[in-house]
Amino acid sequence: MVSPDLSVEVGSVRLKDPVLTASGTFGYGLEFLPFLDLSQLGGIVAKGLSPRPRKGNPPERIVETPAGMLNAIGLQNVGVDSFIEDKLPRLRAYDTAIVANVFGETEAEYVDVCEKLDAAAGVAAIELNVSCPNTEAGGMIFGNDAHALGRVTRACRRATRLPLWVKLSPNVTDIRETARAAEAEGADAVSLVNTFVGMVIDVEKRRPVLANVSGGLSGPAIRPLAVWMTWQVRRAVTIPIIGMGGIMTARDAVEFILAGATAVQVGTANFVNPRAAVDVVEGLGQWLKDRNIASVRELVGTLVAASPVSGHA
Amino acid sequence: MPHDFTVPVLRNVDLGHGNWLLEFEAVDVASAMEPGQFFMIGVPGSDVLLRRPFSVCGLPGTFDDGPAGAVQILYRVYGRGTRLLASLGAGALLHVLGPLGRGFTPPAGADAKIVVVAGGIGCAAFPAFIARLARSERRVAMVYGARSRDELPLLAWFEKRCDSVEITTDDGSLGTPGLVTAPLREILRGPDRSRLHLYACGPTPMLKAVARQALEAEVVCDLALEAPMACGFGVCLGCVLPTHERPGGPVSYDRVCIEGPVMRAERLAW
Repeated sequence: MVSPDLSVEVGSVRLKDPVLTASGTFGYGLEFLPFLDLSQLGGIVAKGLSPRPRKGNPPERIVETPAGMLNAIGLQNVGVDSFIEDKLPRLRAYDTAIVANVFGETEAEYVDVCEKLDAAAGVAAIELNVSCPNTEAGGMIFGNDAHALGRVTRACRRATRLPLWVKLSPNVTDIRETARAAEAEGADAVSLVNTFVGMVIDVEKRRPVLANVSGGLSGPAIRPLAVWMTWQVRRAVTIPIIGMGGIMTARDAVEFILAGATAVQVGTANFVNPRAAVDVVEGLGQWLKDRNIASVRELVGTLVAASPVSGHA
Repeated sequence: MPHDFTVPVLRNVDLGHGNWLLEFEAVDVASAMEPGQFFMIGVPGSDVLLRRPFSVCGLPGTFDDGPAGAVQILYRVYGRGTRLLASLGAGALLHVLGPLGRGFTPPAGADAKIVVVAGGIGCAAFPAFIARLARSERRVAMVYGARSRDELPLLAWFEKRCDSVEITTDDGSLGTPGLVTAPLREILRGPDRSRLHLYACGPTPMLKAVARQALEAEVVCDLALEAPMACGFGVCLGCVLPTHERPGGPVSYDRVCIEGPVMRAERLAW
């Protein structure tokens, strides 16, 4: 058979394949040029951008955990102006969707960054980071509460015509509530999940390993949690889902797609293998070919499952 | 530009007391690699998720018995990643990324007096550097400290290749009892102080102490730094240390993997 069709549409955003790189794990994309051709990727989600540069948290910032890692970087970034002036013009040379991840400490800051990106050429979509667990102000304060998340989504919706994705926190009682709030206030898609808040203790020193005390857990350890949340959200909203959480291989990506994700993001795997996202793209094509499936779109949300008797059956 | 490659272990030699010398072929990178640069090394298929950083210990020519095109790393078994490495025999596969980071720059002045200060396994970065300096007939004095005599790997190699090796041990089991800072204080008072160039690698408390001494004596000092890191090529932002353009200036965070691992002592805002 001919090569399977990997293209998908996340709302109005057409992606040549359903694999993007997750914010905070891919720098500004340019760092990966020694290892891969950015044009092979469906899209890249750049490191979270704030109105002004942020220097981030003091070290220690990372520690490996069983099948994962805990990080508390604190959104160290160059700021939105530098991204637009220095990074975006170079990224535009590649045939890939450039998604800007936006972070603010206040609603006004989110709006400010969205307006600047709206006026810049070459941004395919904006992803609102309302789920960073490692900053004192902003981030998860918006993501933990459906009402606050709805408010910041509405404000950003007014600030830009660009497709608006809202990245959901898993650190909530019921992720369907924040997903519904994003949908109700005009989000074009939801991406999930961000990291789970966790902590590692050095028992000899009786101190937390991370200077920030807690950090965000990512990697294969969280994959079953993230797949479950994708499946929950699929049945709660009608807007597209971009799924992520510990995707290391094409097989892992298929799990999210079956659970209802139209596209996926590869995160922690980029640190371990800088070609990981391209490997997932190529592996996905092969996976479909081996099963005579003509298009990845045929897979989305096709999980064969009886309705669970209880929420955790 | 770093290469990402999978190669078999050539040799993994137990040096005793938890110290190991691992050798693998790196034909494409060995000739371009600078002493002080590092590799990220993982084991394919293992359940250790992240690769670990190791400075290059031996480049072609560093060790007399090193095969052409091979490189060596020296490591101490400390945690999960190094325990896994120590379990590997010849033929086991490594997932290697390198060369990475900024290595050592030899002193500018031809009459510079070079002193390397190593703390325990921190000596790992120096053999390739000392061998490289020897190629241009430059000699090195070494101060080598550890907790005890068992934690001074490659001591015989250093004694053969350096003009002098001053040993200190915390427990007095070899050399002068105490820390490297004591012999270093004498060196910094010596007649050659205006021509001195220090290079230091070891545990952070040692590096802080050496840096303080060097800055007080107004002697040039380069530090080979270490930090936990996830990627090694500048994107995880996990390996940062606080730095400043000048003492008292605004503090920002530099990545050990890109702006380092070798940095000037005065750059660190410790």
